[in-house]
Amino acid sequence: MTSSAVPSPPARSSAAQDQDRWLARRRWARVGWLYLFMLVMSLFFIGPFLLGTISSVKDNPNEYPPRLIIPQLTPRYIGTAYDLGVQGGADGWNGGLLPGRSVTFDVSVRSPQDAPQAPPTASLFPYQPQSLVALARQAQARDYATVRTEQTGGAGDVREYRTTVTYPPLTRRQGEVVRATVGPAGPDLTAILPGGERVRVTLDTPEAQQRQFDLSETQAVELVRAGGTYYLRGPIIQRTPLQVDVQRGQSIVESTLPPSDRQNFDRSFAYRNVTPGIFGYTFNNYRRAFNETTNPQTGQSLFLRWVGNSFLYAFLRVVAAIVFCSLAGYALARLDFPGKTLIFLVAVLFVQMVPGQVNLVSNYVLLRDLGLLNLWGLWLQGLVAAGGVFLMKQFFEGMPRELEESAAIDGAGPFTTFWRVMLPQAVPALISLAITQFGGAWNDFFWPVVLLRENTDFTLTVGLSSFRQAYGGQGDYGLILAGAVLSAIPMIIVFAVFQRYFVDTGSDSAVKG
Amino acid sequence: MFRRGQTATALLFLAPFLITILVFFFYAFARAIYYSFTDYNLFNTPQLIGLKPYLDVLGDSLFRRALANTLVFSIVVTTLQTVGALLMSVALNNKIRGQSFFRSAWYMPSITSSVVMTLIFLWLFQRRGVVNYLITQWLTYQPVILTFLGVMIAAQIVQVLYERSRRLPAKWFDPALAAMSALIALAVTLGLNFLGLVGAREVTPYDFQYFSDSWISLGGVRLLSMPLLVVVIMNTFTTIPGLMLFFLAGLQNIPGSLYEAADIDGATPYQKLMNVTVPMLRPVTFYVVTVSLIGTMQMFDQVAVIGSAAPQETLITLAYYVYTNTFKSGAAPVNMAAAAAIILALIILLMVFIQRRFFVSPEAQ
Repeated sequence: MTSSAVPSPPARSSAAQDQDRWLARRRWARVGWLYLFMLVMSLFFIGPFLLGTISSVKDNPNEYPPRLIIPQLTPRYIGTAYDLGVQGGADGWNGGLLPGRSVTFDVSVRSPQDAPQAPPTASLFPYQPQSLVALARQAQARDYATVRTEQTGGAGDVREYRTTVTYPPLTRRQGEVVRATVGPAGPDLTAILPGGERVRVTLDTPEAQQRQFDLSETQAVELVRAGGTYYLRGPIIQRTPLQVDVQRGQSIVESTLPPSDRQNFDRSFAYRNVTPGIFGYTFNNYRRAFNETTNPQTGQSLFLRWVGNSFLYAFLRVVAAIVFCSLAGYALARLDFPGKTLIFLVAVLFVQMVPGQVNLVSNYVLLRDLGLLNLWGLWLQGLVAAGGVFLMKQFFEGMPRELEESAAIDGAGPFTTFWRVMLPQAVPALISLAITQFGGAWNDFFWPVVLLRENTDFTLTVGLSSFRQAYGGQGDYGLILAGAVLSAIPMIIVFAVFQRYFVDTGSDSAVKG
Repeated sequence: MFRRGQTATALLFLAPFLITILVFFFYAFARAIYYSFTDYNLFNTPQLIGLKPYLDVLGDSLFRRALANTLVFSIVVTTLQTVGALLMSVALNNKIRGQSFFRSAWYMPSITSSVVMTLIFLWLFQRRGVVNYLITQWLTYQPVILTFLGVMIAAQIVQVLYERSRRLPAKWFDPALAAMSALIALAVTLGLNFLGLVGAREVTPYDFQYFSDSWISLGGVRLLSMPLLVVVIMNTFTTIPGLMLFFLAGLQNIPGSLYEAADIDGATPYQKLMNVTVPMLRPVTFYVVTVSLIGTMQMFDQVAVIGSAAPQETLITLAYYVYTNTFKSGAAPVNMAAAAAIILALIILLMVFIQRRFFVSPEAQ
């Protein structure tokens, strides 16, 4: 650029110039290849998890051939799902079908000249979640709603049909509509209002009386309050599974939502839910992970409980590690006492080398006899991690002596020195320690699976592995992948926030030590 | 300074650590040794019966299979992990923009729990799963891919020979020429595809059953089962990033002058790797191999999660053997579990000892 201003350098031979240009080109090419390689490797390392995440929203993650374009992730169908949810239950997010509502669903059928010209038959089919624990039977759309199909248009071979799902209310009374859940079984149908009040439900129509024994406890219902009496308007139906069948020779070319399942040589299309809402459509598997693990006795979501257990266990482990590991690490690094080397070799190094399986039987028996086969026993058993002590010892050894000496001159005792002088200096190491312990506890599997016996005590890893046993040992991969993604999220957040510490954790001390 | 005071303080500081270690480690360890010489089954009062549990365990064909599986797994995975982590750290040690992004991306597999990873891999390696789909795709597009590679190699050879005829010191893997070759190969392949000379072919979907009773044998000896091979792949995949960080930390401690000296001597990248990097990383390598051996010998999570999805023989490891024998329904042979656990501990300690004795360089000690 400034070559015209400065005197040009003595002309070099063209061969040398060639060589310079050639070397520069080669340098750039090398960088290009390197980036390509790094990108490919990044994709390789993130790939399985990414693929699992994308597939976790699919209706059927086992779909073959697998597709990367998934209706659940396209804006068009998410929008449709929202609309259908609004139609069915006034809620575009959770969907569902409420009494007094109707939902329309369009299908286009191609029937060529020589094929039958009859309209498709549409019907509701039952859906019963079958998961880990026995679930309370949910009210089925089929028992309450009616389906009507009519032709709305068409051009050429293709005809358009509109299927309307109508759910008439069970009472004709007018009044304030309240939501409630069905109370425990008894001679009369009772419901528990949101405030906790238990009321008698009046069934004033033959249709309502017919349903009296179909409703199981914890079923969500809508009631009409009129003059201090509660009339049953109908159960809140969580999902509306619709099946559309066409004649031989006909085919479905278009529908409001893409089918979840095709059967009978593409003549029978199943739509798992025509009132999904966004959660029921895109995040259906995630919602199932919470809803379908409900404990029938308590009505509590087991999955939520496992998440809570994992957090509690991880939190307890982190706190214990910060207090006890730093104390022990400091003592081993900085205090002088007989048997120090022996304690380090035997209680820190040797302990890390012996596999946990050796202690399995004994610790199991011990905790069983103490009645501690639960989270607290699990925590007690791994109270102070030898690895954490090692980490803190390495860290304290690297700190300057002068700190302690000046503290001693000021008349501070060993505990004050540790607490006031050394520990505040150790914050980076403590963060590293906390992260390792959190990760270790969150991902821990061996001891939880050995010690935790009740499914309400499980941590997330144990609970998740029990998902694989569901559905006849085959595993319900929609549920599994959703659970896997959910359980990985906390670690990913911790990783994103404390990335620097992950990369430093232990590796430096190990290399220098 | 205050020596006597320090002893008391130190013991006070160490007390929580030492007490838990004493109860949950040393007492447990001692009791496991005791159980391994008794007829204990979780519910009876243990009676000493000498070496019988050890003989029972050694006579159990499932134990021998578990031992073989564990040793094969440990050796294969440790080798793959160490080599892979070393190569990856060398690649990542290049001073380029976005290094921290790549480091984070590569680190992803090791923050997810082994249970989550196992479940995802079970899904990937199903009979009609993603892995088999990718293999089917590879078989389908094999002609295209091979054409591309063939043309690329040919173009590279031609270009290198041409540059050499111009007296430029072109190497066989010259990156600039390789980029050119890739472009030429892409154009040629697209052209041939357009003309219909090369294209995808019809193949039947590849549907290998990974979690079945199939084995890689050598001379009639069953070495590695397919399910275990999947676990090998998974374990290597998830642990390489963590180990990579150790190597990365080690690489940063190698003085750059060594590489400069090697450059002056005209060393190739391969020679630099083998003659500078690898020897300088010996202490780290020792640490990585030790950690990896201890970890792989105890492999449990993956086997427990896969559980009944694969035939027991193909996957059982020592750790899982100990677990199943402790919690077998009915009268569990806990004494055998304890004996197997002691044997496992002895093998690990022996491996670490041998490693320390023979493979560690003087500067690491």
